[in-house]
Amino acid sequence: MGGRFAFAGGREGWVRVLLTAVGVGLGVALLLLTTAIPNALAVRHDRDEARLDYTYDQKHKPKAADTLVISDANSNYHGSDIRGRLVEPEGPRAPLAPGLATYPAPGDMVVSPALKRLLDSADGKLLRDRLPYRVVGTIGEPGLIGSHELAYYAGAKNLTPRIDGWQTARITAFGNPHPSPPDKTDPVLILLILVVFVVLLMPVAVFIAAAVRFGGERRDRRLAALRLVGSDSRMTRRIAAGEALAGSLVGLVFGTVFFLLGRHLAGSVEILGISVFPSYLNPTPALALLVAVTVPAAAVLVTLFAMRGVVIEPLGVVRTAKPSRRRLWWRLLLPLGGLAMLAPMIGQGRSNGEFNQYLVIGGVLLLLVGVTALLPWVVEAVVARLGTGNVAWQLAVRRLQLNSGSAARMVNGIAVAVAGAVALQMLFAGVESDYTKVTGQNVEQTQMQVQNLRGGAFISAAEKFSATKGVRKATALGTLQVGDRSWNSKGAPGTSSSVTVGDCAALREVARLTSCHDGDVFVARGGDRGMDADTAKLARPGRKLYFDTGDGFSKGPDLVWPVPSGLQQVRAIKGPNENVYSGFLMTPAALPHRMTGLVSGQVYLSLDESVPDVHEYVRNTAARIDPLADSIVWAANEQSTKFTSIRTGLLVGATCVLALIGASLLVSQLEQLRERKMLLSALIAFGTRRRTLSLSVLWQTAIPIALGLLLASTVGLTLGAVLLKMVGATVGVDWASVLTMSGIGATVVLVVTLLSLPPLWRLMRPEGLRTE
Amino acid sequence: MTSPAGSLLIAQDLRKAYGPTLALDGAGFSIHPGEVVAIMGPSGSGKSTLLHCLAGIVPPDSGSITYNGQELATMSDAQRSALRRSEFGFVFQFGQLVPELTCVENVALPLRLNGTSRKAAEKAALGWMERLEVDNLKDKRPGEVSGGQGQRVAVARALVTGPRVLFADEPTGALDSLNGERVMELLTDAARSTNAAVVLVTHEARVAAYSDREVVVRDGKSRDMERAV
Repeated sequence: MGGRFAFAGGREGWVRVLLTAVGVGLGVALLLLTTAIPNALAVRHDRDEARLDYTYDQKHKPKAADTLVISDANSNYHGSDIRGRLVEPEGPRAPLAPGLATYPAPGDMVVSPALKRLLDSADGKLLRDRLPYRVVGTIGEPGLIGSHELAYYAGAKNLTPRIDGWQTARITAFGNPHPSPPDKTDPVLILLILVVFVVLLMPVAVFIAAAVRFGGERRDRRLAALRLVGSDSRMTRRIAAGEALAGSLVGLVFGTVFFLLGRHLAGSVEILGISVFPSYLNPTPALALLVAVTVPAAAVLVTLFAMRGVVIEPLGVVRTAKPSRRRLWWRLLLPLGGLAMLAPMIGQGRSNGEFNQYLVIGGVLLLLVGVTALLPWVVEAVVARLGTGNVAWQLAVRRLQLNSGSAARMVNGIAVAVAGAVALQMLFAGVESDYTKVTGQNVEQTQMQVQNLRGGAFISAAEKFSATKGVRKATALGTLQVGDRSWNSKGAPGTSSSVTVGDCAALREVARLTSCHDGDVFVARGGDRGMDADTAKLARPGRKLYFDTGDGFSKGPDLVWPVPSGLQQVRAIKGPNENVYSGFLMTPAALPHRMTGLVSGQVYLSLDESVPDVHEYVRNTAARIDPLADSIVWAANEQSTKFTSIRTGLLVGATCVLALIGASLLVSQLEQLRERKMLLSALIAFGTRRRTLSLSVLWQTAIPIALGLLLASTVGLTLGAVLLKMVGATVGVDWASVLTMSGIGATVVLVVTLLSLPPLWRLMRPEGLRTE
Repeated sequence: MTSPAGSLLIAQDLRKAYGPTLALDGAGFSIHPGEVVAIMGPSGSGKSTLLHCLAGIVPPDSGSITYNGQELATMSDAQRSALRRSEFGFVFQFGQLVPELTCVENVALPLRLNGTSRKAAEKAALGWMERLEVDNLKDKRPGEVSGGQGQRVAVARALVTGPRVLFADEPTGALDSLNGERVMELLTDAARSTNAAVVLVTHEARVAAYSDREVVVRDGKSRDMERAV
């Protein structure tokens, strides 16, 4: 019967069911999306593994009909990574990369659809200069890990000399030759993942609970009419439960449709650098089933729970006699219970094994549920003490005093999200230093470095970089090793030292030179790696030294260098890479001709970073000098990838959750306004200013949200402090994150209020007084 | 319909349609200060629409409405709102009291909207509540009082600003006859004592009996009926 009532009642009835179904549907869609995440991650991982071309542990392969020489030419454009490969198939059976039908000829390239779009757009102008290949095709979905991934395979010639086993390799197959089980994740990171999931899913649950109560007042009036014709109290509850069940079932259908629509649209969006293909998003069946069962069950339970405080009598619709005061004691028990569950893990730290997942989930859950339980009490207690101000304030305060429950329900989702986010931000801030490595790079002096400039190209590179827009200074330095014996001999050289190659200007960056001419060789002392003694042993005029001509993958030919006479002794100073090296310093003309092709170097660049796109200009110059040159933007710190991924996950999730909560707020706001359509019209009829009513709506939302954010910050800080104690980190309040998260929460409310104003103005039209 | 000299509110040849439904089709109306005029007619005849047009709540599609010599059509929405706040009072069928405000706050609301301080507004409100015999309900909320009491509070709210015209749309429609008559007695007595004109929409002859004159609306057209004394 409840099911029938849900759909009966003409337009009003349908609108009510539609609101509930849309609300529940949005929540269900997000839950289904969550259940699809494990599969999406697995597919991304599998596809990434399937196209691996690493050969670190492979032996040198000879050229054959089934070999491919492949070079890593990754790049970055406006902050987005570009996966680039230069390929040279050496025979008809060369392995084909996933997603490719055939390899492009030299000078041609096949690109990912996203890269094609970028290259075709005005935004991609600078990138077109960097990738001067003709686009002859696109990479298929199996060769990409995301719909927005920027990737290309470009045909190349003569890559064999570049084979070094790491950047350029000869391979016979793609994929990981030695797949290993995933690394055991750090307990603290697991703790972070658990808390992120709980924090993100809790607001969704709160939202679903709010959605099944849409249209509650109208339903209560209808139930009163049923009592009049003989329905008893238990029957009305059953009917209400039936209505909620029907609404939630329609919500499940809507949720599935929203999910499928979202899945379809997922291919066209990229959030914080992560994109997926729709085919990745397949919910895990067991989890999807859990959602299908839990949501209707929760809808029924929430409805029955909500009706506990409502007395529906046959006459007088719903008797809204003063409800009994909310009790604090059991509401406090929830967060206290949560703290009690987390307490045994305080001080456990990283070194005492994994945290008990059930206690973590249970504890965090109870603390956050505590927010939803405490908030109605806090709102009731505070608004009861608020005085009267102007009319807008008076209307809002009185409304809250009469019914603070629905206002508290409206902001519960935001409060839970903010509490969780504050705690997580604290935890992230507290353990950030453990996952952040100081690179030692002096970003004041050098902002970019271009490395892997092979075959002596680096010597002339400085000039080309100096001519690049935005470059203030370019210092090109090559590095070699010399030893007292052949590097091919057994036991390698007994004594060795480094040789730094550069023109006079570049060498002046690493040592104090009084005079310098091309052809000079110097001996630098005072380095920070204790090489002075070895260098002194080797730096004897006439002594034959052997250059290391190997590439790290195979050993090279012996190349002997007789130490010249007249070596100048100089003092080593801190160079652009922040090191002080002892060893030989050599100007280009002093380098044996045969070594010119074997030396590889890097260019350190000082940039005018106010020049727009300066990094792109540098990368373009580097690509023109050597397509395999690696351009690195220096940073003072670098973070663990896993840590960054979890943080990114939190941001992606929080964005989705806040959007959902915003939508929920808007729906409940509109629903409440619809209920008061006649009254609003009457108020307008006797001359109430629209501004007064709009302000009253704003206050009605702003007061509970302010209280909600205050409570959320308190619970969030408590949870954050407990989590920090659990991981053994120093407890410190990250006020910036508290203010940021509260600010985001407040912004959502402001946006929702602004969006609800046009419908409010429509409802305030005097035509609303018409009853016929 | 002619426009008798000295009329406070005059409407001529009003037309108003809601979609395909013609609610008013050339209706006219006039009222003098202190006069009580009942607009009668069956359900759906257009009487409430006529009241809404007269009060400047709904603009007519054509025709003219003049209040105190001023054409309502030439006024902006804000000016019409100000007019309703200061010169007009309203009583609706279901009271339409703000459920979250107490009775005295409800009565004081129009004064507060006009900028009167809370204390002064509530003092004046209490005076009107005494006249309408509901001062004992001042701290109750509308949900806690009976329909008749609520309607008397609504009448007090309509009169508290000292309006020159009181619009009452089926003010007794939701009340039993005893309560209805009491509300009408109090409403008309209070209006006459302040020389306020009353535009009373009703379909009950018993209620219309409190008026000085009746205007019948049928199919959107109005006809003035002289009362046989």
